[in-house]
Amino acid sequence: MIEIIVNGKRTSLSAELNIKDAIKELNYTKVGFAVALNGTFVAIATYENTLVRDNDSIEILSPVQGG
Amino acid sequence: MTKYLASNDTWEIGGKRLNSRLLMGSALYPSPANMEDAIKISGSQIVTVSLRRQAAGEGGGNQFWDIIKSFGIEVLPNTAGSHSAKEAITTAQMAREVFGTNWVKLEVIGDQYNLQPDPFETVKAAEVLIKEGFEVFPYTTDDLVVAKRLADVGCKIIMPWGSMIGSGKGLMNPDNLIAIRKQFPDLQLVVDAGIGKPSHATQAMELGYDGVLLNSAIALAQDPVKMADAFRVAVEAGRLGYEAGTMKEREFASPSTPTIGTPFWHQFN
Repeated sequence: MIEIIVNGKRTSLSAELNIKDAIKELNYTKVGFAVALNGTFVAIATYENTLVRDNDSIEILSPVQGG
Repeated sequence: MTKYLASNDTWEIGGKRLNSRLLMGSALYPSPANMEDAIKISGSQIVTVSLRRQAAGEGGGNQFWDIIKSFGIEVLPNTAGSHSAKEAITTAQMAREVFGTNWVKLEVIGDQYNLQPDPFETVKAAEVLIKEGFEVFPYTTDDLVVAKRLADVGCKIIMPWGSMIGSGKGLMNPDNLIAIRKQFPDLQLVVDAGIGKPSHATQAMELGYDGVLLNSAIALAQDPVKMADAFRVAVEAGRLGYEAGTMKEREFASPSTPTIGTPFWHQFN
């Protein structure tokens, strides 16, 4: 079990997981979002090679209205 | 001669040739249907969008994004909410993946009270993003030197504010906007933020600006759809006025009706 922050809220993962598996475990099922890990963009192509570790911070963003 | 000259007007921005010089925001509308009608009637071909945190467990697609995509027009993702170059760069990279465009409206806020852009961080972010292949639309103040710095790092588009975001105060410093226009005749200049009325948009276009970007003025009108139509006409009017060339101001009155043959006129002495 590891502690992480997702979109500003503290939560946990069962273990150190790659981004793809972490998103699945966190129940982010909506399509069309982008991910940043510790303030750095993570491209979809690198999800499986990017590991989420203890105390990491993830941002998961999706389209909204903007000015 | 065509009846409506405005219909022939086109311009190029970010590598795209467009007819409309009105760039619209997609936020603050009373409903998605109202936003859709307003965007359609405005004729706008560029709509700004953004990214925000997604809640877990929301399955399926994204209704807002589906509506915008269905318009078949250009989307301009913003980096609103960023307070540093790093945050803006990351947001831009995320937006490029989600929205499938290399266009980005670069916003780095330097003061939370008046939402004034941070010129130092904006220039820093612009330089990085341009090197990464982005077409940067930087939101900046009407400061000529900041505009120069943005041009120096490769910005082909500069978007000085008219006044504070969402204030509706119009063009605070028209002379500053004129100075930027004169200094950069070849860049695409768009007045972004502070527009409140159609006449403000007309004024910006009369100054020779290539376009105007606004959101609140339409979305917060009592009838956003009618206001979108009003802005469409206002932007066209301003552009036509600029192209036609306005008369020189005079210090004194000058009659427009011929003075020769004026009735009841008597020559004294």
